[in-house]
Amino acid sequence: MSGATRILTVAGKEVLDTIRDRRAMLVTLLTAIAAGPVFLALIFNMTASQADKARELKLPVVGQENAPALIAFLERSQVVIQTAPADYEAKIRAGELDVALWIDPAFEADVAAGKAGTVRLVYDRSRDRARVAINSAESLLAAYNRLWGTQRLLLRGIATEVARPLKVEDIDLATPQQSGSLILFLVAFYGLFASMMGGMAPALDASAGERERGSLEPLLATPITPLQLALGKWAAIGIFDAVVVVLTLIGFYLTLNFAPLPAIGVPFLFGATELARFLWILAPLIALLSALLLYVGMRGRSLKEAQANVGVLLFVFTMLPFVQLMAQKREPAWLLWAPISAQYTLLSRALRGDAIPAIDWLQSALAPALVTVIALFAVARLLSRETVLGARS
Amino acid sequence: MIEVDGLEKHFGKRHEIKAVAGATFRAEDGEITGLLGPNGAGKTTLLRTLATLIAPDAGSATVDGLDVVRDRYAVRSRIGVLSDARGLYARLTARENVRYYGRLHGLGGAALDARVEALLTQFGLSALADRRAHGFSQGERMKVAIARALVHDPATILLDEPTNGLDIMSIRSLRDLLRGLRQAGKCILFSTHVMQEVAALCDTVVILGHGRVVASGSGVELMNRTGRASLEDAFVSLLGSGEGLAA
Repeated sequence: MSGATRILTVAGKEVLDTIRDRRAMLVTLLTAIAAGPVFLALIFNMTASQADKARELKLPVVGQENAPALIAFLERSQVVIQTAPADYEAKIRAGELDVALWIDPAFEADVAAGKAGTVRLVYDRSRDRARVAINSAESLLAAYNRLWGTQRLLLRGIATEVARPLKVEDIDLATPQQSGSLILFLVAFYGLFASMMGGMAPALDASAGERERGSLEPLLATPITPLQLALGKWAAIGIFDAVVVVLTLIGFYLTLNFAPLPAIGVPFLFGATELARFLWILAPLIALLSALLLYVGMRGRSLKEAQANVGVLLFVFTMLPFVQLMAQKREPAWLLWAPISAQYTLLSRALRGDAIPAIDWLQSALAPALVTVIALFAVARLLSRETVLGARS
Repeated sequence: MIEVDGLEKHFGKRHEIKAVAGATFRAEDGEITGLLGPNGAGKTTLLRTLATLIAPDAGSATVDGLDVVRDRYAVRSRIGVLSDARGLYARLTARENVRYYGRLHGLGGAALDARVEALLTQFGLSALADRRAHGFSQGERMKVAIARALVHDPATILLDEPTNGLDIMSIRSLRDLLRGLRQAGKCILFSTHVMQEVAALCDTVVILGHGRVVASGSGVELMNRTGRASLEDAFVSLLGSGEGLAA
C-alpha cells in the first residue's frame, strides 16, 4: 500500500469526523461566514447614515434674528434651521446634539460698524458621529465668508484674486474603489480571519483531541508512518480551512453584489475575479496555518491546553493587520517576506484593483512554505516521540 | 511467536525508573500467554515495546523473528494491538471505526467490507454497526476496539488488560473469542492483574514483578513449583507477600 493512499485515508477520515462535529461546524460557520457580511452591512449603514447627515444638516441656532442673511444662506444650502434649546451646550457634551450655532446679538451692529460679525460654532470634536455635521457646518460658514467677502470686493471693483492670491484645487487620486478604506480593510481582514478560524476546530480535534480520547496510541501501532499521519491530518485541515475561506468570500461576494445595501457612493469591486485572487493569495497562508495549528495542537496534552495555546497564536496573528492599519507609514519592502502582513498587503492591493506580479506572490509564499514544511516535520517528530503516548501506567 | 530477551526500559531524566528491568520470555503461536503482575510491574511498558510504540533501552524483542525496533513497520502489519488507551472516534460509526484501521493496514474494496461485516457479526455488533460510537457502553466500545485491532487478521495479538471495566457477560464472550483465535493458531499475549482470567484462559503464565520475569510456565507448573494449591497463592509466594502493598 502506498504512502499516498494512507495519507488520503487519514485525510478522508478527518474531514468526515470534522463535518460530523455539528457544534464546531456551527461555530465556524457563524464566526467566519455569517459575521463578515453582517459586519459589512453594519458599516455600510453607518457610512450611509453619515452621508445622509451631511446631506441634510440640522443646525440648532441661538439668535437667528441677529443675522438673517446668514440664516437665509444656510437655508438655501438645504440646512434645516432649528431654534437651539437653552441647554444646548450640555446636550452637545452629552452627545444628544452634534453641533450648534450661536450668533452674537451685536452681529448687525458690528457689521454696520465695519467690524467682523461674530458667530460661534459649538461642538465636541471627540465624537466620531458628530464629525460629519461639524465638518459640513464649518465648510458652510467658510463658504458664506468667502461669498460675502467676494461680493464686497466686487462692489468696490476689486478682482477677487487680490484678496485670495492662492487658488487651491483638490485633485483626489483615489479611484472609486480606493475610497471606503475601512470597508476595504474589513474585507481583507476577514479573508485572513477566515483562514485562521477555519482550521482551528479540525486541527484541535485531530491533534489534542486524538490524544485526549486515547485514540492516538492504537493509531500509532498501525503501519502508518508519523510523517504520513501528519500529512494526512494537515491535508484535511487545509481542505476544511480552504472551504471556510471560500464560503466566507462567497458570503462577501453575495453581500456586496446582491444585498440591498444603501448606496454610499463607493463602487466597491469584489467580483468573481477578486474572489479567485483572494484564494490564490491566501493559499500559502492556509497551508501555513493548518501546519502550525496542528503542531501547536499536538503539543497540548489535552484539548483545553491546546485551545489556550492556539488562542495565543491566533491572537497574535489577528493583531498583525491592525498594526499595519494603524501604522500610517508607507509599507516597507520587506513586508512582503513576512507571512500574514504580506497576505494582507496583497489582499488590499487586489481589492484596490492593482496588479499583483507573480514575483510578489512568490515572495509572499516563500516563508509560509518553509514554515509549513518545518512544522510538518516537527509534528512527525512529536508523533514518533514516546512521550506523545502520555502518562505511563 | 514473540521472543523477548533481556528487555529493559527506563524512564525519568536520569533513567532512574526501571519499568522493565531485563525481561526474558517467549509466547508461542496457537497459545494464549498471560502476562500477570501487580500494578506498576511493567506490563503496559512491555506491551508498548512489543507494539513498537516505544524503543527498549537494552535487550531485544522480536515478533515472528522481526525486530520491534529495526523492522517496526513490518511488525506493525503482523500485530493487532488493544492498547492501554483504546479510544474510538465518537462521531464515526462502529463500522467506520473498524474500516479506518482496515484501510490503514492496506485493505480496501469488497474484501475490507466483507471482513468488517464478518467481525461486526462475530462480536454481536450488527445492530450497532451504523450507529455512532458516541453512545456506546463500555463493553460495546471494547468490542469495537478489539474488532478494530483484528481487522487485518494479524498473526500476533497483544491485549493490555482487555477485561478492564467489562461486565461478566462481556468477559465471557471475550474469553470465547480468544479461545477461537488460539484455535486459529494465533499467538496471543495479554496482560492482566486478575487471577481468574489467567486461570480460565492461559496456556502459559509469565509473572512479572518490578520489571522482571519472576516465573513462567503453565498454571499447574507454577503451583507445583511453589507447592501451593491455588494459582493465587503461587503468585503471592513468587512475588513475596509485601508486593501487593508496595505496588
